Amino acid sequence: MSKKILLILLILTITACGGNDDSTSTDTTSYVTELVEYPVVDLPEGLNWQTNLDDPVLGSPDAQRGGRYRTFVPQLPLTLRTVGPDSNSSFRSFINGNVLGLISFHPDTLNPIPMLANEWAFSDDNTTVYYRLNPNARWSDGQPVTADDFVFTQAFMRSEFIVAPWYNNYYSEQITAIQKHDDQTISITLGQAKPQSDLLFFTGISPTPRHFHKLDENWVNDYNWRVAPNTGAYQISKINKGKFIEFERVDNWWGDEHLHYFQHQFNVDKVRVELIRDMQTAFNHFLRAEIDAFDMTLPEYWHSKSKTKEFANGYIEKAMFYTDAPQSPLGIYLNTKTAPLDDRNVRLAFAHAMNFDRVISTVLRNDYVRLPGYTVGQGDYTNEAIQARDYSIDQATAYLNEAGWTERNGDGIFTKDGQPLVITLTFSQPHHKDRLVVLREEAKKAGIDLQLQQLDTSTAYKTIMEKSHQAAYMGWSTSFRPAYWEGFHSVNADKPQTNNITNFNDPAMDQLITDYRNSTEERERIRLAHEIQQLIHDSGVFVPRYQIPYTRGAHWRWVRLPEQFATKTSSALYFPFGVSGGLFWIDQSIKDETMAARKRNEKLPVVNRLDERYLKTDQPATATR
Amino acid sequence: MSAILTDANQTPNLTPGQEPGQPPDQLPGQASDEPPLKKRLSTRRNPLSLKRWQRFKSIRRGYWSALILVVLFVLSCFSELLVNSRALIVSYDGQWYFPTYGKVIPGTAFGLDYPYETNYRQLQQQFSETGNWVLMPVVPYNPFEISSRTNEFPPHPPSFSERHYLGTDPVGRDIVARLVYGFRIAMLFSMILLVCNYGIGVILGCLMGYWGGWFDLLFQRVIEVWSNIPFLYVVMIIASIVVPNFWLLIAIMVFFGWMQMTWYMRTATYKERERDYVAAARVMGASTWRIIIQHVLPNTVSIIITFIPFSIAGAITALTSLDYLGFGLPPPTPSWGELLKQGTDNLQAPWIVSSVVIALVVLLTMITFVGEAVREAYDPKRHTYYE
Repeated sequence: MSKKILLILLILTITACGGNDDSTSTDTTSYVTELVEYPVVDLPEGLNWQTNLDDPVLGSPDAQRGGRYRTFVPQLPLTLRTVGPDSNSSFRSFINGNVLGLISFHPDTLNPIPMLANEWAFSDDNTTVYYRLNPNARWSDGQPVTADDFVFTQAFMRSEFIVAPWYNNYYSEQITAIQKHDDQTISITLGQAKPQSDLLFFTGISPTPRHFHKLDENWVNDYNWRVAPNTGAYQISKINKGKFIEFERVDNWWGDEHLHYFQHQFNVDKVRVELIRDMQTAFNHFLRAEIDAFDMTLPEYWHSKSKTKEFANGYIEKAMFYTDAPQSPLGIYLNTKTAPLDDRNVRLAFAHAMNFDRVISTVLRNDYVRLPGYTVGQGDYTNEAIQARDYSIDQATAYLNEAGWTERNGDGIFTKDGQPLVITLTFSQPHHKDRLVVLREEAKKAGIDLQLQQLDTSTAYKTIMEKSHQAAYMGWSTSFRPAYWEGFHSVNADKPQTNNITNFNDPAMDQLITDYRNSTEERERIRLAHEIQQLIHDSGVFVPRYQIPYTRGAHWRWVRLPEQFATKTSSALYFPFGVSGGLFWIDQSIKDETMAARKRNEKLPVVNRLDERYLKTDQPATATR
Repeated sequence: MSAILTDANQTPNLTPGQEPGQPPDQLPGQASDEPPLKKRLSTRRNPLSLKRWQRFKSIRRGYWSALILVVLFVLSCFSELLVNSRALIVSYDGQWYFPTYGKVIPGTAFGLDYPYETNYRQLQQQFSETGNWVLMPVVPYNPFEISSRTNEFPPHPPSFSERHYLGTDPVGRDIVARLVYGFRIAMLFSMILLVCNYGIGVILGCLMGYWGGWFDLLFQRVIEVWSNIPFLYVVMIIASIVVPNFWLLIAIMVFFGWMQMTWYMRTATYKERERDYVAAARVMGASTWRIIIQHVLPNTVSIIITFIPFSIAGAITALTSLDYLGFGLPPPTPSWGELLKQGTDNLQAPWIVSSVVIALVVLLTMITFVGEAVREAYDPKRHTYYE
């Protein structure tokens, strides 16, 4: 008996040890022995091939190669796959930052620029784009990138084995065909005609390495921790689960010679992404020079927490860049299916009772500016006539009186049939708490009792997706062009798991959205987009909060930045990957000098950089203080 | 039968060698007398309790701590009169208003142009030229309102002229106000929690000890299993699904906290039930309930009392840590844990963290002093001989 127990204990110990073993090597072997060759289709005559090599190069010729850049993430990924279950994590941007598409858009001029494809051409019916691949394009394992990889992508993305319904649908209904014309030429066809710039955006896909993926029912499990070959400058080289993931520059990366726009970009040899769950802890690591740079978007970091010796002695430099990028629709989404928000007057009163200006002028130190509407920073598509409703007790009272809320009770809250006006606001981010208590106190003055419901991120998401919230404090990410079908079409109302979280249901809106989606005429689309935005504004279902008109951060002075250290559309200063990332470099001699000065507690000149080239003139430049 | 026992005129049973009329000297584990309930509860008449009280009083730091705590708690019950944005008295056009308790008085009542609650601090300044006057509390802020200054951003440092005696938190709320109201909530929370935990724990522990057998065995196992549920995780899970309010948080904490007292009470009751006085009561036909409440409990009360201060300290710490982690009372409830979190997140504003840390340390130290003194006073070794 005791022998049996001993044996069980022994087995348990061994398996436990096996589980703890941190595998730091990465698996990049190919698993496919027989490669499929796809049929060749004839290329139509008379195509007008285009390219664009005239826009400015972002990197600096002063940049030096080498060194290791250290940064952090609050969460390490659950998988290295970029499609399938659990793949939509924040870490995916690190992986996708090294996955090149056929083309990309220049982050300053927004013109298309070549990536894997050198040239492109459009079909006459505005549904198909033809691409000529760069013959030098190579996967990180040395294999050439060919037309077959693109055709395989469609088969891959349509496969049920990848368990990714969104991609299955996208590569069936949006992208209807991917065809091979020769080894270096492909065409991609959309299900719907679009203006040319939109066509490029929707067809500029990235290929899937067909020599790497073996598609079967085990794919999701088998490929969790396999590092897929990519076409970008870095590849994952070390994984220490629960601690860090390290990227290393690909040896003789093909883009160094053959990608015009990536000269002097992606300069460091290694990028280590450490796991630090808490932002304050990460900042302490940064002050100890264990992290090279830190995002300082939050006002308390920029203004107060940077009052340390490291900043005052010039070891750490600050940099701020005004951007002009599409803004996420951040704000309060009101659920029109819950009383009393089913009454438009109550929604409008609610909008007038939200004192975001007070939030901005106190907690946010006037750094942020009020977001005017649902679609902002989308160029011509933005309806500039729309302005956010101001805080006004008089107007809120007038709307409430109209809706039958006439008496204030002993607490100063409006009542109707004896019931006080209570609105529950669901939110998840702990650092929003300080902002929301300001809204709560100001709403009380306007006679609305705003109850704050802080839920954990996934529970909040679930609550909102099930449409069981009353008011939700949240936002959506932006897309290339404003999209309204998911959020406002009635087919998505009154059912769970759709993005229509306001349960917006209006036949007029449905008609506008359908027309907007079907129109190929840019002018018409812009007109429709303006009308849709006006309708959203009039309905009062969305109370816009604020926008952040800049990106800013702080870095140890050995992190060197080019003269223009960010782009018009940058969302971060020090992101190491992607079209507008990896502009910085690390100067080892300055690092030695700084560390020596730090040891001697010696002062160095303080350098703070500010770039206002994209600052809009009507914007208050108070944040620079 | 029980009617006879509850009769207050019943002659007390005398221990051998004791003269009638002489108060019995009740020793733990030796009490075979049965004074009427009223008498037993009155500490003044019981020489043992008197002795314990004197012993407690002689431990100066414990005694003074207890005194200060009681005064603080009583004062905090009237926080609205001391720390509040509402005025104590407003004299306006010959009429007196007492806004502290009661309905919101809109600004229009005092000839101002807004319909929401009057800002009495502003009113005080406006009235200074006229015959009207406003009397404000010592700290003229409530724990929720956000004070802003032009061209200065919160957290504001302590300032006597602004009457922010300990400064403000990163939102601009007065720290004194948040501390005072947070103290009241923490004390109420811990006391209610104590009553609930001890109510369940003591009764169940006594029953386990008294009945023994399968009941004891069953509950021993239940408690063992129950104690192994990681309390903090469960609170986190629950808090992420629903927003915990005051009572829900108490319910959760009772759910996982009642086991603590059962072990002690079980052991004590086990011992007590073998004593002659319990056997005597049983012979006389007293019900289980009566034996436990009226006979066993008074003789094990020293255990309960010595644990109370430490349980209170424990409850305050638990609430503070839950609030610190963000799983406690919902915002904007004033809480020491939230203040501590704000303080550690904003070390560049040292007045936040220092205020709350000092308050916490002083409070917990005082409670510990009281606990020590109580333990000392109830030490059975002190009473096994006659002084």
